[in-house]
Amino acid sequence: MKDFLMGNQILAYAALNAGAKAMFGYPITPSCEILETWAVLCSKDKNLSLLQTEDEMAAGFGTIGSCLAGVPAFTATAGPGNVLMQDAFSMAEALRIPTVAMIMQRGGLSTSTVIYSQEEVRLTCFGGNGEGFRVVYSTSNLQELYDYTLKAFKVAWKYRWPTFILADGYQAKMKGEIEIGKKNGDLNNKAILKKGVNLRNCYNLEEEIGEVIVNYENDYQKNRAEIEEAETYKLEDAKIALLAHGIVGSAAKIAVDKLREKGLKIGLFRPITLRPFPVIEAAKTLDKVEKIFVIESALGQLSSLFKDELYDLSIPLVEINKPGVGFTPSEIVGIINEQ
Amino acid sequence: MIKILFAGEGGQGVQVVAEMLAKAAFLDGKKSLYIPNFGVEQRGGVSLAFVVIDEKSVTYPKFGKAHILAIFSDRSINRVKRYIDQDTQIILGPAVTQKVENSLSVKKDDISIKAWNILTLGKVVNLSKAVSKENLIKAMEERFKKYFDKDPRIKEMDLKALNKEL
Amino acid sequence: MNNNQPRFPECFKKDSKPHKFCPGCGHPLVLKALGQVIDEMGISEKTVFMVDIGCSLLAWDFFDIPTTQTHHGRTIPTAVGFKKVKKDKIVIAYVGDGGAYAIGLQHTITSCLRNDPITTIVVNNTVYAMTGGQLAPTTTDNEITTTTPEGKKEFATLKGPEMLKEIANKEAYLARGSSFKPLVLKQYLKKAIETQIKGNFSLVEAVSACPTNWKTNAQETIERVNELEKIFTQGEIKND
Repeated sequence: MKDFLMGNQILAYAALNAGAKAMFGYPITPSCEILETWAVLCSKDKNLSLLQTEDEMAAGFGTIGSCLAGVPAFTATAGPGNVLMQDAFSMAEALRIPTVAMIMQRGGLSTSTVIYSQEEVRLTCFGGNGEGFRVVYSTSNLQELYDYTLKAFKVAWKYRWPTFILADGYQAKMKGEIEIGKKNGDLNNKAILKKGVNLRNCYNLEEEIGEVIVNYENDYQKNRAEIEEAETYKLEDAKIALLAHGIVGSAAKIAVDKLREKGLKIGLFRPITLRPFPVIEAAKTLDKVEKIFVIESALGQLSSLFKDELYDLSIPLVEINKPGVGFTPSEIVGIINEQ
Repeated sequence: MIKILFAGEGGQGVQVVAEMLAKAAFLDGKKSLYIPNFGVEQRGGVSLAFVVIDEKSVTYPKFGKAHILAIFSDRSINRVKRYIDQDTQIILGPAVTQKVENSLSVKKDDISIKAWNILTLGKVVNLSKAVSKENLIKAMEERFKKYFDKDPRIKEMDLKALNKEL
Repeated sequence: MNNNQPRFPECFKKDSKPHKFCPGCGHPLVLKALGQVIDEMGISEKTVFMVDIGCSLLAWDFFDIPTTQTHHGRTIPTAVGFKKVKKDKIVIAYVGDGGAYAIGLQHTITSCLRNDPITTIVVNNTVYAMTGGQLAPTTTDNEITTTTPEGKKEFATLKGPEMLKEIANKEAYLARGSSFKPLVLKQYLKKAIETQIKGNFSLVEAVSACPTNWKTNAQETIERVNELEKIFTQGEIKND
């Protein structure tokens, strides 16, 4: 069923169709319409619930509370709200709680702009005092906001890592055509807190936590092949690759076509999961590439992820950083032509 | 592909008409994307709206240069200079008093100031032929249904404003 | 200059005017009252001004007085930190109902408990305005906001000064005025600052207007503020 909707509205409908029953949130631009749309959905369906909390910490922990009860819940935030929620996300990591959070990135550094950036990559992937045991989907258009929200709930309840939709203020506020019919099947969500279950995230001695974390890491690595995702575009004969995620990936894809028209052998590698980073696909499709241009609206946050996991590829990387500022397709074409 | 940029201040109805245009394109069966761009002030400040319409596909909402630029206020002129190139058609709404090179002015005639944004939208569509008249009117009626149902004079005024330049 | 013109407070920063608040907003009225108080008390050289997130942040360059904008709800702890090491300064925390009573509630309560000698001004318009009109701790019964589309029903409306009265020091000052009654508000602001000078906590809430998010015209806005002045009791909250 086609409709014409705003990104934030799409996220609320997607959560509903994904099987979410509860939302906890605090208003922060550019995510507010997710909360507001869910409020309207709640007024029509008494099986759904919404709590606008006193702050983002309460929203994060409220989401955890609902998940502990076996009821799929989600939250949405941005910027300084994302910073505050790391308290809750750290606990979700430690207790393997399937929270789903939609992060609509806004300008980085403190309050910044309410508009856009890609500067919450590091925060969303590795925030809190954890080790990044998270699944993070970076969406690049309105349809992906919908499709990956459905997937996020499935993946969260199956693999039990806090799961994120990492979008941005542009995707939040843009309106366009969307296919909005698909629904998730049963999420197999059962109560986590029940008889026989005693949970803690506090440990006594070094070796205890050491063992917990190593076990988590083994779990994380064991399942990553099933979770990793990337889009590759015209990389088969490419000498140059653009590496971009999110909406910059959308602009980069258009730029690839324009540059190909001029005869350049160029392609795009667009990671969809930033955690776990799609190393398998990267190793397979980038090995013939001679140079990679990393394009992001941040200072090397995507490039760090790539270098961290794919150091062995040893392909020269050029970073094109515009922290807090977007790239139009023609801008990317101009930048590559200059190089 | 048509790239249209609307620019004005908070409270002038920039976003409303841009959304209407994008929705009309959707109703036409075309592909479109609309995106707003403004700061934290709820009133005043500069309010921009980008609309991209194409028969086949639109995947990125913003652009470098506009095909059509509709300016609603003097104070937004500086902000949009970077989106102008030799092909940009510039339309000035009735509230604009500054002179802008190579531009067309929309006369307010007897249209209420509350509908100047709609008046200018009519001119945008008249020049660009981006969407069909029928679906533009339909998009407007959908958007303002609550107000039109309450007071038919508002509907009359808005339809008059839209059709003036359309 | 025409002597019949109302005077701009001296401590206003001229090049940030006209200000960025919406037409009909209560903030500029409160800020002008505050500006006059600062002028009349002659304290502009030793005053420091701090603003929260939300519409109060639009006052970041309002005064020709050292000002910082903080994070949401963190204006009070920042003010406390500054005052702790600079006791001779007058520190004013200027916040909205969200910053004072939701995300910053623990700081408001704790600061009052500690009797921190800072002055907090809470501008209460019953909604989260800058983000588009969501529920606030001071949203009134049945009030429609974007996150209470059927009207707020289930939970109470927070009455800040009354709540703090239970834990406030005998010498602390708590009051509630209105942006639409600036002369009375000025008296409360003056007393609040005098309370700070004597070393005690002070908080003045000002009922404000937000026609943009209330979606009210001028007449309706005035009526709404009159209503709010009854719901949010005006006057000094004495603790005896």
